[in-house]
Amino acid sequence: MDSQAVNQSQSGNLNRPGTVAIVVALVLLPFILSQFGRTGEFWIWVTTEMIITGLFAMSLNLILGFGGMVSFGHAAFFGVGAYTVALLMKKAGVPLFLALLAAPVAAAIAAAIIGWFCVRLIGLYFAILTLAFSQLLYMIVFQWYTFTGGDDGIHGIPRPEFLGPTSYYLLCLAIFLVCFMLMRMIVNSSFGLSIRTIRENMERAKFIGINVRRYQWINFIIAGAFAGLAGGLLCELNRFAQTEFLHWSKSAEPILGSLVGGMYSLAGPAVGSAVLIFMKIILQQLHRSMVEMWAIVLGSILLVVVLFAPGGLASLYQKLFRKSDS
Amino acid sequence: MTKEYLLFMLINGLSEGMLLFIIASGLSLVFGVLRVINFAHGSLYMIGAFVAYSLSTLLTTGSLMSFLVLLLVVPPVIAVLGFFLEVTLFRRVYREEHLLQLLLTYALVLILDDVVRVIWGGDPRNVARPELLAGSVDILGLALPTYNVFILGVGPVVAIGLWLLLYRTRSGNIIRAAVSYPDTLGALGVNVSWVMTATFMLGCWLAGLGGVLVASLASIDLGIGMQKIIECFAVVVIGGLGSVGGALLGSLIIGTGITFFQLPFGRWALIFPYLMMAVVLIVRPWGLFGRPER
Repeated sequence: MDSQAVNQSQSGNLNRPGTVAIVVALVLLPFILSQFGRTGEFWIWVTTEMIITGLFAMSLNLILGFGGMVSFGHAAFFGVGAYTVALLMKKAGVPLFLALLAAPVAAAIAAAIIGWFCVRLIGLYFAILTLAFSQLLYMIVFQWYTFTGGDDGIHGIPRPEFLGPTSYYLLCLAIFLVCFMLMRMIVNSSFGLSIRTIRENMERAKFIGINVRRYQWINFIIAGAFAGLAGGLLCELNRFAQTEFLHWSKSAEPILGSLVGGMYSLAGPAVGSAVLIFMKIILQQLHRSMVEMWAIVLGSILLVVVLFAPGGLASLYQKLFRKSDS
Repeated sequence: MTKEYLLFMLINGLSEGMLLFIIASGLSLVFGVLRVINFAHGSLYMIGAFVAYSLSTLLTTGSLMSFLVLLLVVPPVIAVLGFFLEVTLFRRVYREEHLLQLLLTYALVLILDDVVRVIWGGDPRNVARPELLAGSVDILGLALPTYNVFILGVGPVVAIGLWLLLYRTRSGNIIRAAVSYPDTLGALGVNVSWVMTATFMLGCWLAGLGGVLVASLASIDLGIGMQKIIECFAVVVIGGLGSVGGALLGSLIIGTGITFFQLPFGRWALIFPYLMMAVVLIVRPWGLFGRPER
C-alpha cells in the first residue's frame, strides 16, 4: 500500500486534454440539466452537493492520504465553517462572499487550536483525540442554545437574489477548481513532499531535519481551512446549519470517500464522494425507507474495502483487471 | 451546600464510575490482548441495553426474578454476538496496520448503530427497576437510591472477579501471557487465536452487563453508545490502554468528575471527560498506569 504511494511522485498529474474535457463537461452540466424542469433542478442540487462534499473529502485526504494520520474528527472544521457562514449571514447580515471568506479562516483557527494538541500524538491516540475534540465541539454547539440554536440548528440563511441553482453550482465549481489547483500546488511543493516523507518514515524525517510536529500542524490547519470552506458552501446550499454537520458520522463521509476513490491521489477522494452521494440518491429513489439503511450501506462498503481492497476500490479494479490479464 | 449533599453526590458519582468501569474494563482487556481498539464497544453496550429492554417487555415488570433473568441472559447474548464478529471480521485484521483495524471497527459502529435505529427506533426507553432495588436506603442518615448503591456494589464484584480471573486462574495466566508474549505462548502449544476470541467475548460480556445495568438506571436512546465509548476512551486514556486497574481508577475519576462538575456547570459537565482526556494525552499520553510504547 505504501510502495504504491512512493512510486507516484507527482500527485494530481493532469493529462491535459482529458482534464479540459472534464472541466468543460462540468461547466456545461447545469445548463443541460436545467432543460429537464424540476428533476433537472434536483440533479443540479445533487451535483452541487457532490462538488462540495468532494472538496471536504479532498481536504481530509491531505491529512489521511498524504499525511498518513487518521482523523475521526474532521467534521469539526466542516461544522465550524458552516456555522460561521450561518451566524454571520443570519445574525450579522454579512454578505455571502465575506462570510465564505470568513469560513475557512474560522475553521483554520479551530484547526490550529485542536491540531496543536493532536499532532503531539501519533497513530491510535491521534485518532482518539481528534474524535474527542470534534465531539466536544458538537456538544458545545448542541448545548449553547442561545448562540447556535442547539438541536434546531439555524434556518433560513439568506441567499443573494442573483444566485439561482445554476449560478450557485458554477460558483461552487469555480471554488472547487481553485482549491484543487491550490491543493495540487501544496501537495507537490517541498512542504507536501516533506509531509509524505513523514508519512513514510517519521524517524528518518526527523533525522534529515524536518520539524515533524510543525509540518503536521500546518498540514492539519490547511486541511481544516479547506473543510471549513466546504462547510460554508454546503450551509448556503441547504440554507441551514445543523448539529449533524459536526457529528462524528459526518467525519466518516470523507474517510469513506477517500477509501472508495483511493487515498493516494488528489482527485480520488472527490470522485469517491461523488460515487457515494450518487449511490445514496439512487437508494433514496428506489425506496424512501432505504435512506434509513444508509449508514448500514456505508458501513458495509467500508467493511468490504477494509477486508478485500485496502488500497481503495480503484485498486480492486486493478487487481481484478490484472488477474484476468494473466 | 451541606456535607450530606456532597456525600450524596459522591455516592452517585462513584456508582456512575462503577458502571463506566464495567464497560471500560472490557474495552481495555480487549485492547490488551488483541491490540485493537474497538470503536464498536459502545455499540455493543447499547445493543445490550436495548436487548434488555425488549426482553423485559416479555417478563413481569419490576420483579426481582426478571431482573436476574436479564442479568443472566443478556451479557452472554452480547458475548455470542462478539464471537461472530471476532471470528468473521476482527481475526482477519490483527496483522494489518492500525488504520485498517480502526476503520473496521468504525464500519461496525456505522452498521450496528443503524441496525439499532432500524429495530428499536429513536424513542428513549427504560426498564423498570425490580421492587427490591426501586426505593431508597438510609446510609449515614441519607436517603440514597437503592439502585445506585447496588451498582456501587456490582462494580467491585466485577473488579475482584476480573482480578481473580486474570491473576489466580490458569486461563488468566494464559490471557496475560497473550498480552506480553503472544508468539512464545503460541510456541508453547496454546491456540492463541482462541485466546483472543475468548478475551473478545469476555469484553463483550462486560459491555452487555453494562447495558443491562444502565437500562434500569437511566433512559436509553440511540446516543448512549457513542457517549459511552468516548467516556471509555477517556477512561482508558487516563488509566492506560490495556490496564484493568487503570480502568478502575480512570472510571472513578470520570464518574465522580462528571457528577461534581454538574454543581457549578449543569449540563456542561458532560464536557469534563473530553477535557480530562485532552489533558492526560498531552501530559502523559500512555496514561497513569500504562507504559510508553508507541
